[in-house]
Amino acid sequence: MKFVCLNCETYMNFEKVEKPGEGTLGVFFGCPSCNAKFSMVTNPGETQMVSSLGVKLGGRTVEAEPFEMTRGTLKDEALTGPSQMAAYLNEKIQGGQPAVAAATAPPAAKPGEKSSSGCPFSAMVAEMGLTSSGKPDNAGAALSEFAWSPDAKEKLDRLPSFVKPMVQSSVEAYARKQGYKTITLQVMDDSKNDSSNGTSWTPEAEKRLENIPDFIRPMARKEVERVAKERGMATITAQVMDDVKEKFLKFM
Amino acid sequence: MAVEKDLKAILRNLKYSDDAKVLAQISENTKLVHARMAGITHKLVVMSGKGGVGKSMTTVNLALAFARQGAKVGLLDVDLNGPCVPRMLGLHGQSLTMTPEGAIPPVGPLGMKVASMDFFLDDASPVRWKGPMDVSPVWLGLMEMNVIREFLADVVWGELDYLLVDLPPGAAADKPPVIAGFIPDLAGAIVVTTPSEVASDVVQKSVTYARDIGIKVMGMVENMSEYRCPSCGEVNELFEGNTEAMCEILDLPLLGRIPFDRKLARTFDKGEPLLDETYPTIQRYQEIAGRIRTLIDYKKVLADKL
Repeated sequence: MKFVCLNCETYMNFEKVEKPGEGTLGVFFGCPSCNAKFSMVTNPGETQMVSSLGVKLGGRTVEAEPFEMTRGTLKDEALTGPSQMAAYLNEKIQGGQPAVAAATAPPAAKPGEKSSSGCPFSAMVAEMGLTSSGKPDNAGAALSEFAWSPDAKEKLDRLPSFVKPMVQSSVEAYARKQGYKTITLQVMDDSKNDSSNGTSWTPEAEKRLENIPDFIRPMARKEVERVAKERGMATITAQVMDDVKEKFLKFM
Repeated sequence: MAVEKDLKAILRNLKYSDDAKVLAQISENTKLVHARMAGITHKLVVMSGKGGVGKSMTTVNLALAFARQGAKVGLLDVDLNGPCVPRMLGLHGQSLTMTPEGAIPPVGPLGMKVASMDFFLDDASPVRWKGPMDVSPVWLGLMEMNVIREFLADVVWGELDYLLVDLPPGAAADKPPVIAGFIPDLAGAIVVTTPSEVASDVVQKSVTYARDIGIKVMGMVENMSEYRCPSCGEVNELFEGNTEAMCEILDLPLLGRIPFDRKLARTFDKGEPLLDETYPTIQRYQEIAGRIRTLIDYKKVLADKL
């Protein structure tokens, strides 16, 4: 925070900090041109906000101790009654009069608005696309031009609701490309290995990819395809694999 | 009558100086964090958008797995309001030793160094801050972030191979990804979920948010995958979810599945953790730790094996 002396059109300099009272700071500034002085006084809340930054206004004069702020701010025992800031505001704004308690009753439903049962779980069940029986609501499933075999359908239905449309659309795109009419478990598995960017792999390159641990193989596959795309190659050959290997050897 | 001044024009001609030394101190604090973290080779955070999925259990067991493999390991529990790592490791009641060089952390099983808010609290005491703003959410947020900054800057970790940071629960515009952003040269985040669809939904949001702010999400651990009966040993599913499909969509490796294991959980509840590396669930943590090492060395693995 800076202050500007509007007479001299210059920043005022920070001069010193004093504590005029408990929980307050007086921060002094002076104009380097006209020597005008003023002091900004913080309330307890503002004082604590500044100290929570872990800084001392004007700079440190002694080294910070380990966990200085944590240890200095942890409360030894719970305060009884209102917090200090609430008490301060009450004193300054309401002259110490107790505030009127806020109404605690929930607001009534507006006319025409469906009133909630108040049950947190019913909203959650609805959000998950489940019926009251706990079974998925078929309304959430996208209409399909393909016939899904029962086992493939079951596998699809077991996916989380936010994943299901993406998987369905990806598998069906693959099936469309291959000219399939029925989606089986095999089609689902094959679609996973289908490259979305039209890249094909030679058997030798596929074999070399199998040397990579299976849990990071998809990442490696994407990396190789990215390099091939950068070089304008549509087929992953042993040469592309060598290029990728070379690239990573440079990081060693 | 006073002449109206154009503040914008005045400011254009002025040069800012940090004469109250606020920016200098904030910069100094950041340098302290960097200096303290410099001796640590790999820094990992363990996070989840969802509470109650077993982040602390996963963090502690992964830390023990790395230590069992001969690594020097530190564990930082930054769940300020629900710290449980010291209790799980039998360190509850101990404290950080304050020295002019910084705070020396207690040493737990397998030589693991541990720091936690629990070391500042009495039995059954919640975290309560004193001062006029003790109930202000804005101030609490600022305060907690700076307490975490002190944990990163003031604990004397020394030379470590791994520092694992157990983050508090929370998804999007919340602390966890921001805390992770404090840590210089972070190797990445390990995300913990359960197969429950509700957990998956929240967890994938936290992955998206973490990536948005530039945190590398390394992989996912599925906790509570199944339940192993302590009497007959039969294994049953606890939820009907599909973490594998979620990982595929999020383009993340599934690092492993951990069953809900009552026997193992009980030992941590009592602060006497089971350390037997031949125990089946512990072996799963060992495998996950091995996969994390592979991910850290991803470029080397590709260079060697492709």
